[in-house]
Amino acid sequence: MSKFSEKKEYLLNNATYKLLPFKFDRLNSQKYVLTNLSGEFTVIENHELEKIVNQKLSPEDSIYSHLRSRHFIYEPADKAAIQLLALKARTKLSRLANFTNLHIFVVTLRCDHSCPYCQVSRQSEDKAAFDMTKNMADRGLDLVFRSPSPALKIEFQGGEPLLNFELVKYIVLEAKKRNEKLNRDLAFVIATTLSLLTDEILEFCKVHNIFLSSSLDGTEELHNINRPRAGKNSHQRFVEGLSKARLALGFDSVSALMTTTEQSLPQVKSIIDEYLRLGFTGIFLRPLSPYGFAIKTKKYRAYNTERWLDFYKEGLAYIIELNKSGIRFTEQYTSLILTKMLTSNDPGFVDLMNPAGIGIAAVVINYDGGVYASDESRMLAEMGDDSFRIGHIEYNTYEEIMLSDKLLDALENSFTLSVPMCSDCAFEPYCGAEPVYHHAVYGDAVARKPESEFCKRNMAIFKHLIELMHSDAEAKQIFLGWANRC
Amino acid sequence: MARESSVLIFDEHFYSIDAIQKAAYRFIHLYAVDFAHKDSKIECILTPTQEISAEGNEHYLNEFKKEVLDQHLRIKIKNETEEVRNLILGIAFSNSGLLADE
Amino acid sequence: MLKLGGKVIEIQSPGAPNSSLYSISTNKELPRILRATKAFLVSDAEIPEGFKHYIVLDHLKNLINNLPSNAEYTLLSEDYSYISNDDVIRISKEKSAIRVLYRANSPNNGILITEQCNHYCLMCSQPPKAIDDSWLLAETSALIPMIPRYTREICFTGGEPTLFGERFLDILRLTKSYLPETGIHILSNGRSFKSEAFTKSYASIEHPDMMIGIPLYSDDPAQHDYIVQAKGAFDETILGILNLKKLNQKVEVRVVLHKQSIGRLKELCEFIGRNLLFVDHVALMGLEMTGFTRANLNELWIDPYAYKDVLSDSVQILARYGMNVSVYNHQLCLVNADVLPYYKKSISDWKNEFIEDCNSCKRLSECGGLFSSGVQNGYSKNITPFC
Repeated sequence: MSKFSEKKEYLLNNATYKLLPFKFDRLNSQKYVLTNLSGEFTVIENHELEKIVNQKLSPEDSIYSHLRSRHFIYEPADKAAIQLLALKARTKLSRLANFTNLHIFVVTLRCDHSCPYCQVSRQSEDKAAFDMTKNMADRGLDLVFRSPSPALKIEFQGGEPLLNFELVKYIVLEAKKRNEKLNRDLAFVIATTLSLLTDEILEFCKVHNIFLSSSLDGTEELHNINRPRAGKNSHQRFVEGLSKARLALGFDSVSALMTTTEQSLPQVKSIIDEYLRLGFTGIFLRPLSPYGFAIKTKKYRAYNTERWLDFYKEGLAYIIELNKSGIRFTEQYTSLILTKMLTSNDPGFVDLMNPAGIGIAAVVINYDGGVYASDESRMLAEMGDDSFRIGHIEYNTYEEIMLSDKLLDALENSFTLSVPMCSDCAFEPYCGAEPVYHHAVYGDAVARKPESEFCKRNMAIFKHLIELMHSDAEAKQIFLGWANRC
Repeated sequence: MARESSVLIFDEHFYSIDAIQKAAYRFIHLYAVDFAHKDSKIECILTPTQEISAEGNEHYLNEFKKEVLDQHLRIKIKNETEEVRNLILGIAFSNSGLLADE
Repeated sequence: MLKLGGKVIEIQSPGAPNSSLYSISTNKELPRILRATKAFLVSDAEIPEGFKHYIVLDHLKNLINNLPSNAEYTLLSEDYSYISNDDVIRISKEKSAIRVLYRANSPNNGILITEQCNHYCLMCSQPPKAIDDSWLLAETSALIPMIPRYTREICFTGGEPTLFGERFLDILRLTKSYLPETGIHILSNGRSFKSEAFTKSYASIEHPDMMIGIPLYSDDPAQHDYIVQAKGAFDETILGILNLKKLNQKVEVRVVLHKQSIGRLKELCEFIGRNLLFVDHVALMGLEMTGFTRANLNELWIDPYAYKDVLSDSVQILARYGMNVSVYNHQLCLVNADVLPYYKKSISDWKNEFIEDCNSCKRLSECGGLFSSGVQNGYSKNITPFC
């Protein structure tokens, strides 16, 4: 008893604590959110901020221990904190060195659907005009294997890639052949409506472990309005194709993405229910596409952001209820953000990366040989703006493409840590640079973030998630599971 | 009335122009801001870029003042943590992340 | 509870040194050449000749007359009736004492490297002594070659084993040599590994199955330092863990649960998930009611039933981070069902007991039971048999 020292012997005295690098922003009218160098957040009352920064906290305050263990403050002798922060920072950035992972091959523009929101597809039989050639595919594979990434994902898009399945087969076989000596981890995905699946196609996919990524916009009514097709049966064909594909390739071999339109906004629960009904374990509540809305007014855009946020919050609340009642179902955009908030991993999602994911994380090789810095870059080009076309697969070398001014300037100029407001923003660790969106909507890669709907939307989501985790312990636990599954 | 400018005056002794400008940037979607310097005072002239009610204007001006204080804190944090930030990032980017052996 | 050491009734070994190690044999047909290094455990009147030493239990003391002439022997009380073939014992003539150092039938063999320690934990079950006990190292060097090769695992404990520096690493090298298929578990506060050089030396042993169990009691450095009664402990322990993982060595984090550590247990688990995700295992452990725990009972004791929800939440945090978690030293009736996938029967066999109420429990065989010291000195009022 007398041999043991009391707790106060172990508290700091004769010195004061120091600040570790952190940023802060208002969470709501009563609280601030702080984020540290590795993107960990904490929530404090308004009046505490000034005390913290002016070193008025005492080692006996519980907030002191809290901030010290979460690496917002440190004591002079705390060497481990420095090492841990460095390790976490390095972990977060380690994906960058791997460079481009996702390579999209647009094998044809021909399609059996004519979705109004699609910027690219063509209703045509003219293969020569709208199909990728074998030579372009070969040069495309040259580019793929120039990437140092140990994992390479090749995704086939269109139009409807199955309309040029011969080329898909060629690329898969050729890629695997080249990989025999290189030993990368190759993954293949075909983005398809599932309406044109045949047994032959499924057999090939099975043999070569190809995943299918499809579109499910919601209930039959909503889906068919969004995605017109001769026969008006897109949804039905989807469900049939889904069943066939799962049987042949395995239940989890098909994933679904939704496109959000104005018609989707009042129906989030029924869309989620449709996903549940068809056995999916997650949904991606995507934002409304800015393309096509670019001509609309500023007010209309702002109105849509508000409506979309209601859509998202309602959907997320419903999904959390499902989880609380024992159903495993995730919202994928939320999961990506939660991975950044709750772990030191980076999910590598193109739209939420800094430096921007263009070129660095993904690259698109178009049916006509044009190389684009991202999928959105290609969509922008189809609207007449080729600001993010970074070369041609047959006429430019890898260096010319990846080191093109267009790409490098956009990456540099949009770098969040150098840009007004983003550089100070507490939510910067969770956000992304997104030069293509800002260029398309506001005319430059950076834009003014206080005016940006991208900024407004994402910041609202970040605050919403932090408030949820702060007030609902069960939701936080559910989120922890999502964050670590990414 | 609905688009009238307001003037906020900051004593140079207590406020830095840096912090005020950064605060002004965050309100760029609501106000166009002019600056002037008189004696040792910094003048901010805030002109609403859209129609705004008197209450709305007062609310945002208060928010602006709070933001100015926040920006000062940000600058303080940045200055005080510059050294340790460089140390941490230096370790993060080095080959070994370990302390030299003691 | 097994008695692992104590007084003997009688020793007769005039020629032997003061302290001797013996490997026990019950094999009457053992080749003569091998008998010279072993002690025979007498079971009946048929006593083979040529053994170095003979062990006689009290109920067979009349068989002393049947021993070979001039044979050295030790007479033991019935407390030691558990001794069996291949066990290793130490007989100290001066102190008239026996210590059972290794038991072939036990999955839990711990070898004490030293009683010296640079911590003074409030709940220490092996209170430190500031004496030079480096003779333990010499003894361990003699003990290791006597341990049978089929031993699955041995545990090196203290005090703080790494205080002996390279000499402790030599013990590990010796163990790898003589017991190449035996897993090694080391209990250490990890602070010595803040030295990169020491860590490199440790890693160069290249043992295929060696893990260090390192305690962390709080995410708050001041609280951890208070619990282990050493300033700067938390910081050095973390640096040690980082150095070990940098060289791919296996590390387990151990947390003893009591009133001082339970308050921030969830925060600690979040800290581990966020900062030490690469650690190989996390063990959340019930308190042992022995050693310093009894002196600090007021600061430490909390009924596990009272913290069962905190335990559940903490386990969930680690599990969702994808970490390997185990819950040790708890009774089944005092934990929530969601902890069961992580629940282990962990208490060393020699100090593992149940209370009388447990006899009617339907799930007795699944339960880890209590520490003997708990049965003796205090346990939860909420222990309830399952029906």
